[in-house]
Amino acid sequence: MNFVHDGLAAEFEHVTREGERKHISEQFDSGDALMQEIAYSLITGSHFEVARLVEQALGEGYTANDVLDDGLIAGMSIVGVKFRDNIIFVPEVLIAARAMKAGMVHIEPILSASGVEPLGTIIMGTVKGDLHDIGKNLCIMMLRGSGFVVIDLGVDTKPDEFVDAVTEHNAQIVGMSALLTTTMPNMGVTIEALEEAGLREEIKIMLGGAPVTASFAEDMGADGYGDNAIEAVDRAKEFVEANK
Amino acid sequence: MTVEETMTSRERVMNALAGKPVDRTPVANPTNVATVDLMDMVGAPFPDANRDPVLNARLAETGYTELGFDVIAPYFSIIQESSALGCEMQWEQKDNWPTVRMTNPIWKEPEDINIPDDFLEHPDNQAIIGSIRILKEKYGDEVAIVGKTMGPWTLAYHLFGVEPFLLMTIDSPEKTMDALHRLKEISVLFGRAQIDAGADVITFPDHATGDLVSGEYYHRYLQDIHSEMVERLPAPIILHICGKTLDRMDYIAQTGMAAFHFDSMNDPAEAMEIVDGRISLVGNINNPVTLYSKGPEAVREEVYRALDAGVQLIAPECAIPLRTKLENLLEIPAAINDWTKAHA
Repeated sequence: MNFVHDGLAAEFEHVTREGERKHISEQFDSGDALMQEIAYSLITGSHFEVARLVEQALGEGYTANDVLDDGLIAGMSIVGVKFRDNIIFVPEVLIAARAMKAGMVHIEPILSASGVEPLGTIIMGTVKGDLHDIGKNLCIMMLRGSGFVVIDLGVDTKPDEFVDAVTEHNAQIVGMSALLTTTMPNMGVTIEALEEAGLREEIKIMLGGAPVTASFAEDMGADGYGDNAIEAVDRAKEFVEANK
Repeated sequence: MTVEETMTSRERVMNALAGKPVDRTPVANPTNVATVDLMDMVGAPFPDANRDPVLNARLAETGYTELGFDVIAPYFSIIQESSALGCEMQWEQKDNWPTVRMTNPIWKEPEDINIPDDFLEHPDNQAIIGSIRILKEKYGDEVAIVGKTMGPWTLAYHLFGVEPFLLMTIDSPEKTMDALHRLKEISVLFGRAQIDAGADVITFPDHATGDLVSGEYYHRYLQDIHSEMVERLPAPIILHICGKTLDRMDYIAQTGMAAFHFDSMNDPAEAMEIVDGRISLVGNINNPVTLYSKGPEAVREEVYRALDAGVQLIAPECAIPLRTKLENLLEIPAAINDWTKAHA
């Protein structure tokens, strides 16, 4: 653990699980003041500050990957823990996400141009009849930041749209979101459609959304469940790892 | 054998909401129990049943006539006012809920909020008001007619968009309060119109849910407004908030609302302990897993759990999935009957 930023050190104290403390603190091991300032500004939702600091870092010769991993994603890891543990709620996550987007504006063009092989392709959508997208959008942002190509089908996504997208993009993972208890059953309907299309064996399916639980995901026939955006990234990485 | 009933459904519900004795615990549906099967049974399908008072009343009354619930709740969804105010709508089909396209909100600033003079005359508001008149005339004091008016927080999601509104709550708390105070006038207008038309009770959904915002948020932004609603809406009010709400139940219990309709994510015994008799509780049978996916036995288990905890009105936790099986819904009053006999 090598914190040179007092505010960030205080934020890190919200991380109490031993394994997570180790994993997250390793991201700050270099003790780089600028990266820690970026992470702290992201956690506190200072989007103008994040944009300015990211631009500064790139100008000073930090690579886009360094800024992404040691600044933005490292900061977002603490945001994810605080959200999961009910220390912060969606508004606070949204301002952190806004700050991350402000930083990504400078990073994405460099990463796209670098031609790095993506970890995999994921189809994401909110299921039919459901127009909520905050959770899904947070997941997409984190998945893209972690190296996945994500095809966003948006909201109110019909089962055949998921089926068509898997085929068209040769995707390995499908992620579905629902916010309403009334639309959650459409996750099961979509999984059935993927089965009927003969694609079920080719892909892994993960579910998420405020009222969705791990047992519901299992009942619907999914392969995994994510309680938040950080867990969605963990599931996707596990799927890719298991497929190697 | 059924329990000997000495009260009408209306008396039972009104007593339970007032914390008075009842002959048996009432079954309520303060949000909605319309299903595809019930739509087919009476020829009143979605989306038309949301927009036509006669179809609406015909579908709504099945909650009482077919399911044996103690209330009739004709406002099935959460979108009538927002449609009347000009939100872009997706009316959907029989097996899907109408919804507001919140990604295309109509207002950005509190000053944009404009309640047209003929707001109550809009057909989508008249569908509910007219339906309540029909139901009241038909059922009189036999069964409790439950109206519904959206709270300012829910209206803000529809009218400003969820994400812009939640960002506003951090970027400008003053602006947020201004918006909520302006929006609450919509809640009062529509709620009073339904009471004038014959509603005995008003459900007040205001989705400051634990999945989105903290209990402190509820205290800061909504508690006083909800207390004000008790003064301004002359009927018992059932507040409805989905998701985890234990962290705000103490605040809710201080508002003076008659009852709180709570989600299955909250343990009923714990919830009862927090509210401590200051407010009645309505709930909290799980929808997606129990009522939708499982069978009558699992439903019965959850009904017993709520009854054992002392929950005053038994109900599904929220609007139920439209493909929910009727046998599962019928199991709720049957389980209450058996529990009551066993505890006589």
